[in-house]
Amino acid sequence: MASTPLLGPKIRDRRRALGITQTSLSATLGISASYLNLIEAGKRNIGGSLLKRIAEALGLAVDELDGAAERRLLGDLGELAAEPALSALQLERQSAAELAGRHPGWARALVALHRGWLERGRAVGALTDRLHQDPFLAESVHDLLTRATAIRSSAEILESAREQVPDPHRRFVSIVGEESRRLADLAQALAAFFAPAHAGTRAGTPAEEVDDFLLDRGNHFPALEDAAGAIGAPASGAARFARARAAVEAAYPDGPLADEVRASPLLTSDTARRRARRALESYLAAAAVMPYEAFLAAARRARYDVDALAREFEASVEQVSHRLTTLRRPGAEGLPFGLMRVDAAGFTSKRAPLPRLPLPRRGVACPLWAVYLALQSPGAIVRQLAELPDGARFLFVARAIDKRGPAFPMPRRLVSLMLACDALVADQTVYGDGLDVASAAPATPVGANCRVCARAACAYRQEDAIVGA
Amino acid sequence: MTRVLIAEDDPNIVESLSFVLTRDGFEVAAALDGDDALRRLHSAPPDLMILDLMLPRRNGFEVLKLVRGDPALRTLPVIVLTAKGQPQDRRLAEQIGVQGFMTKPFSNTDVVEAVRRLAGG
Repeated sequence: MASTPLLGPKIRDRRRALGITQTSLSATLGISASYLNLIEAGKRNIGGSLLKRIAEALGLAVDELDGAAERRLLGDLGELAAEPALSALQLERQSAAELAGRHPGWARALVALHRGWLERGRAVGALTDRLHQDPFLAESVHDLLTRATAIRSSAEILESAREQVPDPHRRFVSIVGEESRRLADLAQALAAFFAPAHAGTRAGTPAEEVDDFLLDRGNHFPALEDAAGAIGAPASGAARFARARAAVEAAYPDGPLADEVRASPLLTSDTARRRARRALESYLAAAAVMPYEAFLAAARRARYDVDALAREFEASVEQVSHRLTTLRRPGAEGLPFGLMRVDAAGFTSKRAPLPRLPLPRRGVACPLWAVYLALQSPGAIVRQLAELPDGARFLFVARAIDKRGPAFPMPRRLVSLMLACDALVADQTVYGDGLDVASAAPATPVGANCRVCARAACAYRQEDAIVGA
Repeated sequence: MTRVLIAEDDPNIVESLSFVLTRDGFEVAAALDGDDALRRLHSAPPDLMILDLMLPRRNGFEVLKLVRGDPALRTLPVIVLTAKGQPQDRRLAEQIGVQGFMTKPFSNTDVVEAVRRLAGG
């Protein structure tokens, strides 16, 4: 094992600081003094057991001596510097090295605080998610509402027959009636509080801000749909989408796209705003290639067969899938779809959740989800009937697409794309054919992600749940 | 007389709803789970159904789907009752097809009014 260039001097400095002579140390180590001298001069590589013995004799940990600890510290400082929340400080690698070298204690304190901060953020996020998804809570709230309903309904009957009730009991019939109404309101408020909600928006990367921005608008932009009509559909042929995009850029250097982006408080940096604009340009191009009414009609005819639609509109599977999630014009809605795109390392690069299907902002979703399974069989369409702990069932349809890599020796680039719809409406799609989506039918028991999932005994669990089962 | 089928698993709610509907001149039958509801829909078809979305054994959404898919029952007016008054449940129910939507806890007068409106009688 190669030594770091500073190893020798470190050994010498430490030996001297402890007041030990070369003779004494070499005797302790069972090597000759001249060999120790060569080591300290950096003229001999050492490793393995000798390094361990030297470290022990000098009262140091091995990784302090060979620099591994310092390299780790630098790595951790690098991660800290990369935090989006600290981007305004523009921390540099050079100053991190100086801090680690000169004040390792302070550097370690910073790293410890950073880790604690990250962990707390994750815990808060997971707790919030768990609040909205916990099956016990959901059941209890449902139960509470049912009790309140029964009480209120009966109390109203008594109140309507109050004249037949003799005093002084009449008074109490009124009280029961009044209280039952209050209880009813309270129960409803509680149910609304615990209703599934979008994950709280936290300061995030520009990509995350753009996601939030799109979600906030329900993934549908009426102004852009109209504008797409004005641009018109590009003629049939190669690179239809690219031509649409070029037309969009030409037609709208500013205009409606800039307005949409400028108005949103969710986009807090120029990077985020630029990304959002590009996303909207893609939206507009897609709306030009796949005009709303024609596409909706075709989607229903094809029962949402993505490949058939891709052929019909000369668009890619990914563009069609994405377009399906934008069919949210009030009164003319397509089937509600969720969408998720991940790379082979599990990074989620696109997310459009459904109301009862939360998609992870950071980290991964449940490892059983079809979106990950599809990576094991690139090109094949993987269907999955998935059931969340709260009983919500979804049809997942995923496939891993081979995006062309840069050049021969580079690894191929797979992304996995998944569409999701509520199991109840899955039979309106071609992907529901042959699948028994009735509530008694077997489904894969999944969660949203391991941190919030209540399935304690799951064999695929990655980490412990934030709240004990 | 107009026949109403109440598909609801809580017996106390069934009792109070039956009381107020009978008092208002309707003929009321009750089913306590999804399978029972489907049986009665075929053996003694009502003029209107009040359906709790959270029924045991085939949840209410499924019953609703089966009703809409059945040519004999397609035009049956259905009022759904749900403890989950959430917009996505409403949208899902509307996607499948309902005529009325009531969230629990409801007021008896609201239910009676809705039944009168949708079933005449």
